Amino acid sequence: MIGNIRQQASGWLVNVAIAMTALRTNLMRSILTTLGVMIGVFAVTLAVAVGSGAQVSVMQSINALGSNMALIFPQPDTGEGGRRSFDRGRLTMRDARAIQKQVSGIDDIAPQLRSNIQLIVAGRNASTNAVGTTPGYGKVSNLVAEYGRFISEADVRSAARVVVLGPTVARKLFGDFDPVGETIRINRAPFTVIGITESKGSSFGNDNDDIALMPISTMRQRFSGDSLAGPDDLQLLFVGFQDGISLPDAKREMTKLLRERYRVRGKDINPFTIRTTEEFMKESAQVTGIFQIVLVAIASISLLVGGIGIMNIMLVSVTERTREIGLRMALGAKRSDIRNQFLVEAAVLCVIGGAMGLILAIAGGTALTVYADFPVPIGVGVGVGAIIFSAFIGLLFGGYPAVRASRLSPIEALRTE
Amino acid sequence: MALVETQDLVKKYELGGETVRAVDGVSLSIERGEYVAIMGASGSGKSTFMNMIGCLDIPTSGIVRIDGIATSDRDSDALAELRNQKIGFVFQQFNLLARTTALDNVAVPLIYAGLGTEARREKAKAKLEEMGLGDRLDHSPAKLSGGQQQRVAIARALVTDPVILLADEPTGALDSKTSEDIMQIFESLNEQGITIIVVTHEAEIAGHAKRRIEFRDGKVIEDVAVNNRQKVSS
Ligand SMILES: Nc1ncnc2c1ncn2[C@@H]1O[C@H](COP(=O)(O)OP(=O)(O)OP(=O)(O)O)[C@@H](O)[C@H]1O
Ligand SMILES: [Mg+2]
Repeated sequence: MIGNIRQQASGWLVNVAIAMTALRTNLMRSILTTLGVMIGVFAVTLAVAVGSGAQVSVMQSINALGSNMALIFPQPDTGEGGRRSFDRGRLTMRDARAIQKQVSGIDDIAPQLRSNIQLIVAGRNASTNAVGTTPGYGKVSNLVAEYGRFISEADVRSAARVVVLGPTVARKLFGDFDPVGETIRINRAPFTVIGITESKGSSFGNDNDDIALMPISTMRQRFSGDSLAGPDDLQLLFVGFQDGISLPDAKREMTKLLRERYRVRGKDINPFTIRTTEEFMKESAQVTGIFQIVLVAIASISLLVGGIGIMNIMLVSVTERTREIGLRMALGAKRSDIRNQFLVEAAVLCVIGGAMGLILAIAGGTALTVYADFPVPIGVGVGVGAIIFSAFIGLLFGGYPAVRASRLSPIEALRTE
Repeated sequence: MALVETQDLVKKYELGGETVRAVDGVSLSIERGEYVAIMGASGSGKSTFMNMIGCLDIPTSGIVRIDGIATSDRDSDALAELRNQKIGFVFQQFNLLARTTALDNVAVPLIYAGLGTEARREKAKAKLEEMGLGDRLDHSPAKLSGGQQQRVAIARALVTDPVILLADEPTGALDSKTSEDIMQIFESLNEQGITIIVVTHEAEIAGHAKRRIEFRDGKVIEDVAVNNRQKVSS
C-alpha cells in the first residue's frame, strides 16, 4: 500500500522531470506560452482582490457611519408607489424627540443640518462640510474628540459659536499648531474651536476627516435659515440603536409613528425616508458582488486566451514528439502514462505561469493599496486558489492534446518522421 | 509451448482502393532460446511481421501468441505491460531520447515497470556496464558514436530482463566493423538464453543466427536451420 503510493508519487515526479526537460528544450516557446497564463491569472486574481477590496471598503464606510443605525431624511419615499399627498418631505426636531421618546431600544439620536462653510484664520482659509448637530452625534457615529471636547447640551441650548474640527480641516487652517481655544471666522462670524475629532480615515477617496461640527441651534441661526421651510425642520436624523435591536422592527416602529404624526393613510407616500445601515450593507454587498462578477468575467477572457495558448502549444508538442510517444509505448508506456505525461507538462506550464501571475497580482494589489488608497486583499486563500486554479486550467486545456497523444497507435507513432 | 506463435497472420493495407497484403497468412512458431534471422526483399513484409509479434501493430486477421498469451484478447494496457516485461526492441535508428543521458535513456522502460528512482538508476547502470558503457553513463546520444548509441539501445531493450529481443535491421545504420560488434553482443545474449529475432538484409548478419526465415510478398518462402542447412518447414 505504502509502496504503491510511493511508486505513484515517483511516477508523477518522473513526469515532472520529463516535462521540465521538454519545456527547457523549447525555452522561448515555453516562456511565451507561460506569459499568456501569467497575464490571465494576474487579471483574474487582481479582479477577485479588487472586488473583495470594494466590498471591504464599502463595509468600512458604512461602519464609519455607525454600525447599528437608521438614517431618516425629509424626502418622500416613492419606493412603493401610491398617492403623493405632500409636495415636499417632512422631518422636524419634534419628530426626532417623539422618536427618541416612543421608539424602544434607542441609544441616542443625532438631528442634523448640513451646510458648506468657509473657515478663515490668520489668512488661511478652508471650505468644508459643516454639520450642525447635538452631543448625540458623537455617540451615534462613534466620533470622539481627540483633543479638547465635543459639543455639549449647553452649547446647543445657548447656540454657542463653537466648532469642532475634523483633523483635515484643522491641519489646513493651523498646520501642526494646536487650534483648541483659538478663534476662527466662519462666514465672517467669530467661532471658538473647542475640539478636534479623531481621524476616521477615508472611504472611496472621500475624506471623512474633512468636516466641522457645531451646535445645531447655531447652524440654524446662522447658516441655513432660508434653505429650510420651517424653523424646526431637519435635513437629516441619525437614530442609533443599542446592540441586538432588530433594525427592521425598529424601522417599522418609526415608520408607524411618523405616519401617524403626518396622518399618512393607506398606500399614500410617506413624506420621509428611513434607511438602515443593515439595508445599506445588503444593497452594497449586492452591488459589489455584481461588480466583482463582472470584473472576474472580463478578466477570465484573458485566462481563456492563455488556456487556448496552452492547448495550442501542447498540440504542437504532441505532434513534434509523436515519435517519442511511439517509442515510449514500445518500451511499455500505457495510454494513461502518456496522457499523464502531457497533462503534467501542461499543468507545469500553467502553474509556473500562475505563480508569476500571482506575484504580479500581489505587486499590483500592493501598488493599488499604497497609491490609490484602495484595499486589495490577496490572502493565502486567494494565492493558493490561484495556483490550484492554474493547474486546473492546465488540466482542462492540456486534456485534449494529452488524450490525443495517448490514443496514438504505437507503430504509427514510431514510424512518424 | 512456443514462445512466439503465429497462425494465419494477415496484415492488409488499403491504399487508394488497392489492397496491399503486407503479411499474407504467416504461421510460425519460435521456441524459447532460438536465434532467428528474417530476410527478404524490401517490401516483403518483414517489418510488418515484426511489429505484429512485438504487439506494436494489430493484425488484420490471424493470431499472435506470446508465451501462450493471445494478443488479440488483450487490451492496450495489457499489451503495454507485455512489451515492457517480455519484449525488448532494437531499432535501426536507435531511437534514443535526445538531450537525455545514456543512463536515463536506459531507465525509461523501468519507469513504466513502476520502479523507484534508485532502483531504476541501479539497474540501468548495471546494464550499461554490461554493454561496456560504464564510463558513458552521463553522455547524451549526441556525444556517442553510432555503435555506442546502439549499445545503449540494447541496454535499454534488456533492462527489464525480457525473454525476446526484436531487432529490425539493428546494424542498418552502422559500418561493418561496428555491426560485427553488435552481432557479438547478440550472440552472447542468445547464449544467455534470450530469444532473438533479427530482421536483416545482410547475409553475414543472418549468418550469426541459428534459423533463417525468408519472406516474399508477405509470405514465408523458406524457413531453415542455418548451421546444418536442414529445412525446418515450408
Ligand atoms: N502503414 C502502411 N500503410 C500502407 N502500406 C504499408 C504500411 N506499412 C507497410 N506497408 C506496405 O506493406 C508492405 C510491407 O512493408 P514492410 O515495411 O513490412 O516491408 P519490409 O520487408 O520491412 O521492407 P524493408 O526491407 O524495406 O524494410 C510494403 O509494400 C509497404 O509498402
Ligand atoms: Mg523493414
